[in-house]
Amino acid sequence: MKQYFINTWEGLWTVLVGMKITFKHLFDPAVTIQYPDVKPTMPERARNRLFVNMDDCIGCDQCARACPVNCISIETLKSTPDDTPGETSQGKKKALWVTKFDIDIAKCCFCSLCVYPCPTECIEMTKVYEFSEFERNDLIYKFAVLTPEEITDKTQKYDEFQAAKEAEKLAAAKAKAEKAKQDAAKKADDNPDKKAE
Amino acid sequence: MYNFLIDIFGSPVIAFFVAAALPLFLFILPYALIAVLAERKVSAHMQDRLGPMRTGYHGIFQTVADILKLIQKEDITANSIDRTLFNFAPYLVFIGSFAAFAVLPFSSFFVGSSIDIGLFYFLAISSLVVAGILMGGWSSNNKYSLLGAMRSVSQIISYEIPTAIVVLTMVMLTSTLNLDTITNQQTAYFWNWNILGGAATGIAKFLLIPLMFAAFIIIFISTLAEVNRTPFDIPEAESELVSGFFTEYTGMKFAMFFLAEYANMLAVSFLITVLFFGGYHSPFGYLGNSLGIEWLVPIEQGVWFATKGLTFVLVQMWLRWTLPRLRVDQLMTVCWKYLIPYSVAILLLVGFITLI
Amino acid sequence: MELYDIIFYLFAAITIVSGIVVVNAKNIVHSAFSLLLTFFGVSGIYVLLGADFLAIVQIMVYVGGILILLLFGVMLTNKITDVEIRSGSFQVFPAIIGLAAFAAILFGVMTSTNWKTESFEIPATTTFQLGRLLISEYALVFELLGILLLVALIGAASIARRDKE
Repeated sequence: MKQYFINTWEGLWTVLVGMKITFKHLFDPAVTIQYPDVKPTMPERARNRLFVNMDDCIGCDQCARACPVNCISIETLKSTPDDTPGETSQGKKKALWVTKFDIDIAKCCFCSLCVYPCPTECIEMTKVYEFSEFERNDLIYKFAVLTPEEITDKTQKYDEFQAAKEAEKLAAAKAKAEKAKQDAAKKADDNPDKKAE
Repeated sequence: MYNFLIDIFGSPVIAFFVAAALPLFLFILPYALIAVLAERKVSAHMQDRLGPMRTGYHGIFQTVADILKLIQKEDITANSIDRTLFNFAPYLVFIGSFAAFAVLPFSSFFVGSSIDIGLFYFLAISSLVVAGILMGGWSSNNKYSLLGAMRSVSQIISYEIPTAIVVLTMVMLTSTLNLDTITNQQTAYFWNWNILGGAATGIAKFLLIPLMFAAFIIIFISTLAEVNRTPFDIPEAESELVSGFFTEYTGMKFAMFFLAEYANMLAVSFLITVLFFGGYHSPFGYLGNSLGIEWLVPIEQGVWFATKGLTFVLVQMWLRWTLPRLRVDQLMTVCWKYLIPYSVAILLLVGFITLI
Repeated sequence: MELYDIIFYLFAAITIVSGIVVVNAKNIVHSAFSLLLTFFGVSGIYVLLGADFLAIVQIMVYVGGILILLLFGVMLTNKITDVEIRSGSFQVFPAIIGLAAFAAILFGVMTSTNWKTESFEIPATTTFQLGRLLISEYALVFELLGILLLVALIGAASIARRDKE
């Protein structure tokens, strides 16, 4: 019987205690971040969307090889001496035209493994985290700055250069051969002189 | 009020329909708009969240947006349901909860139906809700719905007993079943409210106060259970039964159930207000009386009544976001082992006190 | 037509139509639910007759109590809901003869009886008189009914109680 009244009292009292707690929380400031209006601050080394600074990229393909999910694909083209891609910001000479630098961010696992091998520190993880798209193809980011015309132009140039080089080489080889012949001929010519002396 | 409407419209038939529809448009629909938003805001702030924020300033138009959404929704009826009963159930539930408003005195000008069996009617008409819930649960042809309906009905029937006994206590104290008369017995200031012993004088008043407090707590708990709110929401129990007896309902039919639930909350809050807290009477006297503006008094009374009713609705929400759900056996223990014995004891004691 | 007439015919229609459904419905749950409307209609007619207390008791006891009990019984014994209830027409011809004879007798009695009419003012409320009568003139019957119900309650509890063995 005594337990009965204790139960009653405890039932009511604990409800009141609970109500007091919720009442206090009614006036506590909310912890909600109003997301689209207020952006959450990212931690220092947050890994989100990849960004490639093409000015610095030398097309070394190391990031593509480091990627565990093969989301980076790079194609390069050798440059000609008269039309070089210039230098990186750290003064390193670029030897390759980067014709294709695609990152399929949908595949990316945000491991940051591509960032470490980069010799010019041109690929990096940014703090941008809002990049949803309606089309899956839109998630393939194309970083290459060259237009298709430029690429064909460069290819042509390289081919011409290559051809020229070939021709030069051929010419050189021919010249060499001719020179050797000449030398031989000269030698042959010289000898009789010596003999004549 | 009715005569006033007859004067306006000239025809008793039109006045009849207008008088019948008035509480719906004057109280229930605006209340439902506010209460649904208030529920979400109160719950959010109690959990240190913000709640709806994006529709209007601090989300005040959220309910309007929700209603627009519900109107557009497809009305899905599964193949294996019992179509007639399925379509009729939401209306029955709503009729039951809305009919209870017929006897409530909203203000001295707007009394509804001042019949001498008002209280009894209030308790009886809610049985339509019970039948409607059972109808909806069974016709959905879904085990969760049926379980929810069964639980709901057994819960409502059980908790009707303490409610009825407390109401009986109040009937013994006030010696009337007319809600308007009960209100008018608690006129003037708040010490005449039934929770503070009513109009009794002398030592009887002081003896009545603790009993009235206990009776108030009992009827509050039992009506809370009757409207299926947390902590007594085992009929809906989201984690067990999807959403209980209205699992299969969509669109406006779902909205009808929802509206009926909220209307029920308001109805029982108004009942408690009338029984214990002086109905539409102001606790301090009226501005209209002291300024000599007669027409202001009924408006003030309506405001007081709405304020008192909404306070209890807010307490119901507060409890909902404080307490976890009871188990079925705990539910029955609370009703049969605690509320009923206490209410019977109060009934006897109050009877004894009113005799002397 | 007065407002009360309209309401009367409304309630009468509800009562009769739902009563026919109760008898004819193939599904026993439909029968049970239309019984709800029948009770409701009857209580409406009680109100129009000035028996307000009786009307509310009708709703409270029949809709709130007995009907729910009935529905629980029907729903929990799911075998009943599955059984095909045959409510076809058997022996139509004798039934029509019997019905016609009964109707004729009823109509004859109704028209031939000299009904005692007396002007009587319907009291605004019957609650007060009913209450007074129940605790004065019919106190014994009232108490006996109470005891009967109590006995039924205790009996139900003792039947439902599991025996400890």
